[in-house]
Amino acid sequence: MSATPLPPQPAPPRPRGFTLGHRIPPPSGEYRWVYLWDAPLRAMHWLAAIAIVALAVTGFYIGKPYFITGGAESADPFVMGWMRFIHFASAAVLVMTAIVRGYWLLAGNKFERFAALFPVRPRDWVNMWKQAKFYMLMERHPPAYLGHNPMQQLSYTGIYLVAAVMVVTGFALYGQSNPGGLINRGFAWVPALAGGIQMVRFIHHVLTWVLIIFIPMHIYLAMRADTLERTGVISSIITGGRFVDAKEKFIDAEDA
Amino acid sequence: MSFAAPSWFPATESVEDELARRGVSRREFMEYCSSLCIVLGVGKSEAPRMAAAILADRRPSVIWIQLQECTGCVESVIRTSEPSIGTLVLDQISLDFSHTLMAAAGHAAESAAAAAMAAEKGKYLLVVTGSIPLADDGIYLTIGGRTAKVILEEAAEGAAAIIALGACAHWGSVQAARPNPTGAVGVSEVIKNRPVVNIAGCPPIADVVTATVAHFLTFGRLPAVDGDGRPLFAYGARIHDQCPKRANFDAGQFVEKFDDEGARKGWCLYEVGCKGPATFSPCPIFQWNSHTDWPIGAGHPCIGCTERGFWDTMTPFYGRLPDVGGFGIESKVDILGAALAIGATAGVVAHAAATSVHQMRERKRSLPVVDPTSGGPGTPKA
Repeated sequence: MSATPLPPQPAPPRPRGFTLGHRIPPPSGEYRWVYLWDAPLRAMHWLAAIAIVALAVTGFYIGKPYFITGGAESADPFVMGWMRFIHFASAAVLVMTAIVRGYWLLAGNKFERFAALFPVRPRDWVNMWKQAKFYMLMERHPPAYLGHNPMQQLSYTGIYLVAAVMVVTGFALYGQSNPGGLINRGFAWVPALAGGIQMVRFIHHVLTWVLIIFIPMHIYLAMRADTLERTGVISSIITGGRFVDAKEKFIDAEDA
Repeated sequence: MSFAAPSWFPATESVEDELARRGVSRREFMEYCSSLCIVLGVGKSEAPRMAAAILADRRPSVIWIQLQECTGCVESVIRTSEPSIGTLVLDQISLDFSHTLMAAAGHAAESAAAAAMAAEKGKYLLVVTGSIPLADDGIYLTIGGRTAKVILEEAAEGAAAIIALGACAHWGSVQAARPNPTGAVGVSEVIKNRPVVNIAGCPPIADVVTATVAHFLTFGRLPAVDGDGRPLFAYGARIHDQCPKRANFDAGQFVEKFDDEGARKGWCLYEVGCKGPATFSPCPIFQWNSHTDWPIGAGHPCIGCTERGFWDTMTPFYGRLPDVGGFGIESKVDILGAALAIGATAGVVAHAAATSVHQMRERKRSLPVVDPTSGGPGTPKA
């Protein structure tokens, strides 16, 4: 991608006291900008993030209405109605992001394509263990990847799977509002497979927690990579690229 | 009519005579037929045809056998919304054999069944209530020395069609709930070569049975069914979508526990475990005991009794979601989920703290002196 070399620059003076990231190897002074995430992928990431938060908030109300609308006539407030509308609308957005992401598995660059979802090579398993040791504070530096490291690949693919199950179970539940309709008939295999519509409801409910547990870990590890290793990953999901040391060798740089 | 006809209904009396004796005018009878046609969704114009079918001298007879069950279905069915006409259609006009309702008993009843089945072979409508225990060669239910499976197979042999009435005949009901010690199954799992319609419910609504029988008498076939063999005219819509408390649901007005303010105001029972959103049944429209009331109307959540496997899948009846077995009280899903979410956040914080400590130690060990004026440790050595 675009690799504009920058002139060598002196490192800025550092303040005394405690700062994170001080043990990063001295940069060579040359940087290049690598473009990783295409615009559709970034847009889908943030749309899905918003949709998932909206789905969780409204979904928990639908699962157990955590406040009661008192007093007025039933015709007046429409709380559950709006909650369900927002839930279904956000679900539609999430399905749309999944469709675009699915297309981008074919159309995207090598960091976005189908093969990048699965850490199946022996090299990947070695580096996943190194990454785990880094998180256990047993390794000074994680394996250097431009795109997703094997542990990210595994967890993001897992989240895709969870989201897929959420979508399928969600459609099975939604389809019941129009018995005999297209969605109802198209997803009739889901309760048959799960052992009844209540079990579908249960799976849909439990997997919400998996997505919620993922959020703090995802944000923390992204911030950690940015502060400790100065990888610029947070910027990369906004601008699409990040600055890297021009001399640094990356494991996935030569991958097809 | 054969010897099987209940003694309190003389075989010589015509249906018109019986109606007249009960004070039912021709007009009332036609109105009843019209309402049945509307229930079935076939249109009012079919009412004369239905009336003719019900009044016909050579109508198909109905054989009703009762297997592994509690007789609740019979109790429900004899309480049709129009007892004077409805029970006539079901119990008195066509019913040639019924364990509970017939006067005969013992050998007389058995031979009555055999005679009725032989006389109408290939033409009668078979109504089955109760499940069929298959475990240990079916020894858990025998009548007159024959197992339920044998009785059912014999009766089904000459049946034009079979109505599996109630949850037991549908899929086995409470005796088929885990662990199902008697191996109870529904009719459709034993009889594969005859049309079976499932009138789901524990017990089902009488009018659904009456309408199904009337449909068979009029058109000579069973009504259209859904994927689980239930007639669409009755089980084609969800309770939730027909519920008079739906406005309270949409408004966010819920009973949180029984006898609270919401319960007194008749709000939605969703939070106390109502299975209406997962249950297909005409209860809100047909209601029970001559349109008197129905469970949700009486302030009790729906338990989903028209759905296959409801004793296992719809429990706990007063909870929204299935229980997690084998973990104890702390393992309620939301508590577990919230604990894991808090745990993950706490783990993240702990990990960040451990990283900081680790960093400080590293710095002390590897960087003995840092001159504040010379930049930082990241500065290349000159």
